[in-house]
Amino acid sequence: MMSSSHLLELHNISKSYGALTALSDLNFHVGHSEVVGLLGDNGAGKSTTVNLISGIQKPTTGHLTIDGEKTMFTCRSDSADAGIETIYQNTALVDSLSITRNIFMGRERVNAFGFLKQTEMREIAMEVLEKAVHISGIDSPDKLVGDLSGGQKQAVAIARAVFFKRRVLLLDEPTSALSVRETEALLAQVLKLKAENVSSVLVTHNLYHAYQVCDRFVIMSHGTKVFDVKKADTTISQLTEYVVLT
Amino acid sequence: MTDSAVPKSRIRKQSLLKQIMTMPAGAILLVFVTLQIACIVGALAYPDDFRYLSPQNLTILMKAIPVLGCLALGAGILMIAGEFDLSIGSVYTFTAILMATLVNADVSAFIAAPLGILTGVLIGLLNGTITLRFGLPSFIVTLGGLLFWRGAVLLYNGAVQVRFDPEPIFTSLFAGTFLGVNAAFIWIILFVVGFYLLLHRHKFGNHVFATGGNRPAATAIGINTDRVKLVAFAIAGGMAAVAGIIATARVGSVQPGQGAGLELQAIAACVIGGLSLSGGRGSIIGIFLGVMLIHTITDVLLLLRAPGFYLDMFIATLIVVAAAFNHLIERRGAA
Repeated sequence: MMSSSHLLELHNISKSYGALTALSDLNFHVGHSEVVGLLGDNGAGKSTTVNLISGIQKPTTGHLTIDGEKTMFTCRSDSADAGIETIYQNTALVDSLSITRNIFMGRERVNAFGFLKQTEMREIAMEVLEKAVHISGIDSPDKLVGDLSGGQKQAVAIARAVFFKRRVLLLDEPTSALSVRETEALLAQVLKLKAENVSSVLVTHNLYHAYQVCDRFVIMSHGTKVFDVKKADTTISQLTEYVVLT
Repeated sequence: MTDSAVPKSRIRKQSLLKQIMTMPAGAILLVFVTLQIACIVGALAYPDDFRYLSPQNLTILMKAIPVLGCLALGAGILMIAGEFDLSIGSVYTFTAILMATLVNADVSAFIAAPLGILTGVLIGLLNGTITLRFGLPSFIVTLGGLLFWRGAVLLYNGAVQVRFDPEPIFTSLFAGTFLGVNAAFIWIILFVVGFYLLLHRHKFGNHVFATGGNRPAATAIGINTDRVKLVAFAIAGGMAAVAGIIATARVGSVQPGQGAGLELQAIAACVIGGLSLSGGRGSIIGIFLGVMLIHTITDVLLLLRAPGFYLDMFIATLIVVAAAFNHLIERRGAA
């Protein structure tokens, strides 16, 4: 296995909060154009892993590699620069701002004095929503995000990732508040992005959703990896067994 | 909707009113315009009994609005960022006394005034640092600030008033008239425009809304929310000092007790103007309309020779009604 060619790789990552060990010696990788399901029960360390990859938290020991190059994210914008976008269930959007302002939040298009190029941002938002993300009901980029449904919010978050040319999407429990139809649309979106060479890490409780789209599964328990298997080599009942029993 | 042309205009009319109502400052704009029309009609109908349009009355209004306006603009930005500053009334007095005593000690007002603003900014930064460093509610920290700086005024100056005798050009710059308009009123208009550009058209404003609206999201996207809040605290402190300068230039002296209660009036103006108490919502135009509404109502009640306690009761009712109305809009937006 040519490990240096992996898009994203975690090497011997440990993370402790005082006496509590959240992660111990975690290793796994994400390949190019690959959808990885990161599974595990509550408290397995999935959220901590997401936070580490997106740079919100720092590992106690261990490091990441991007394209085989050793790196260490110290803040969110580091991981954004490396092409990683995290899509959270509830926390990544501001309800009281418009779709356009959410898409460009923290990465505003501005002139030399820091003033917003509103027309330009609005046009881009409109285009991204129309072309890249096909979730119905969003007719204007000026709509407040607070007025959108759960699926539409996810769509806005994904639109943000698509526009900023991300290489890896981290989806943290993306389906837990979505309707059945919205879930289908979201999973289809993940596959579409894969075809466009964007990898995804799907963090979820729901094995069925994961099984639908993932190429490979990483199962975590008590802060470390207990199982790593390609979809072709496993069944949903075997995955369930690992999540429940380890 | 597109295939039936006849009801289209009706739908658009309805949605226009709805649009105005759901705009951050839409409801207050309607109330303000209605009140103005009522006042103007009343003044034209009874010019001798209700002297709303008399030059003297308009001048009083223009002189009164800027002081609360400056305080409310600073407090408002901070509220949108998700924090409070209850100390601005005390800071307003403290920095004004500092400036006045410096001028009495033969320092030029053009040096003393910026020093006053700098002091306000530093006090704001101190409030912000304590709040953020120790993860305390800013309500408590700045309540401490309110009492501390009120005490500091008495310690530094005692309970006597301080005369403010700057160069005449300083007085005319902040309290004179320019093209028939009160200078302080021109200043507040400039501040409103400047704050509008900062909050609604600048990157920083977007970060303020993001920080107050959803702090974890703003952090996750890479906004330094602590720095945004710290800058907002500094703006609140600085604007309190600006309010002190404008008030002092107008009156020509500082009373040690003059700032008491102003911080609450400023927050009231913000709430009336559609700001959410939990942050993330509001507009500069709303804040300014809130300030003008408070002063217009005060003025009208005075012109009607209502006893003073009516003012407080009326403003109090207005605040609660405005807050309830805003909450209603917020809940609907979240649904």
